[in-house]
Amino acid sequence: MCELRKRGLATAVIVSEPFLTLGKTQARVFGVPDLPLLLIPHPLGGLSLEQVEGRAQRVLPQVLKIIEERAA
Amino acid sequence: MTNLVELLKTPGASLECEDDFEAVNELVRSRGWSDGLPVVPPTARRVEQMLAYCDRPWDEPVARIAPRWGEATPLRLAANAVMAGCRPEYFPLLLLVTEALCEEPFNLYGIQATTHPCAPLVIVNGPVAKELDINCGYNAFGPGWRANATLGRAIRLALVNIGGAIPGLGDMSTFGAPSKFSYLAAENEQASPWEPLHVERGLPREASAITVIGAECPHNVNDHESITAEGILTTLAGTLIATGANDVYYDAQPLVVMGPEHAKTVAGGGFSKADAKRFLHQHAHLPMNRFSKENIERRLRVTWKERLGTAGLDAPVTMVQRPEDLLIAVIGGAGKHSAVVHTFGATKPVTRALKLRDGSYARSIADFKKSTPTPTLPLRGRENLENL
Repeated sequence: MCELRKRGLATAVIVSEPFLTLGKTQARVFGVPDLPLLLIPHPLGGLSLEQVEGRAQRVLPQVLKIIEERAA
Repeated sequence: MTNLVELLKTPGASLECEDDFEAVNELVRSRGWSDGLPVVPPTARRVEQMLAYCDRPWDEPVARIAPRWGEATPLRLAANAVMAGCRPEYFPLLLLVTEALCEEPFNLYGIQATTHPCAPLVIVNGPVAKELDINCGYNAFGPGWRANATLGRAIRLALVNIGGAIPGLGDMSTFGAPSKFSYLAAENEQASPWEPLHVERGLPREASAITVIGAECPHNVNDHESITAEGILTTLAGTLIATGANDVYYDAQPLVVMGPEHAKTVAGGGFSKADAKRFLHQHAHLPMNRFSKENIERRLRVTWKERLGTAGLDAPVTMVQRPEDLLIAVIGGAGKHSAVVHTFGATKPVTRALKLRDGSYARSIADFKKSTPTPTLPLRGRENLENL
């Protein structure tokens, strides 16, 4: 994902809360500290499909915003 | 560069600290540079002594350790080896293990950062295992042996201090495992009726080698009753298959550790290692209906779509996809025990031979000492720590 961002593509990583620090560290190590990390509630596993959709809905506006900004 | 006096002038390469054991350990603790146990103070002189068995430039990274992707230079590794209590003779194996761990198929990033409780297991083969007195017998995975305890610990310290495997930050293991302190043993080649692990993995018998496996702790297999190869292997196969093991969800390569007595019984039944693997592959399975409904629909039918996608609930779920995917090593002393070592799943074992810089197999650890300069650092003002 860091490589894609360096190439100018619209990028974002969706992380659950406990993994936010790890995500930030990786983005920094790979030279893209401004990589968007979109936060969703933990956990990711053991969810019903409705719950998965709920998490997706939560970050969808941010994903669309990133794509629109990159397009502009 | 192999001059420590010059190397230590690099910004951040060294720290001044009070010449006192407790002060050093308080500094180490406050920086998070430990496994929680006290460390041997990594004074410049001790680090230089550790590097006496290093045949590489001391400041040239041999690998980058995930998830921090820190540069593993011999100098940094040597500091961690000192802290762990290693003898300088162990250092060539620490370099080799570090390189093996950082090879792509091992997936060290996954192993370090996962919520799963895996740790790199190192199995040492060949003449160097005996030369370094690495335990392959009674309690080989437990305490009581300097090489096993401290070399294994040095690997962990490097994973933490260079790789950033800090609990909750770079190491997200839900509850971890005691094997994260140290997890290293030699194969008991003398007691094995079969070719040793490194030979099975394609190396000549006279080579010394390490195999790294992204592993869970050993799960014991007690069988005091079986007196046939089929009996022992049936018991082993039953422990190998487990509904919650990562290996069932991945194209995995778990390890079977055979105690010498079990190995003798199996070989005595005319089973080669390949035969034993075939038997285990055939018998380590459960009908799909032993898994939860959700795991069947969301994991098994998806991961193994071709075989299980539309299969009936009595279809077998196998532990390994091919017999040759299993690893077998003979370790331990007397007793009717073996062990199954499940893995992280998304990892491949890596075997590497101990070689000199010219590419030839190292015959002895002493081979590494020849090409190194004599120590350059005098003992100055460090008497208390040096004399510990």
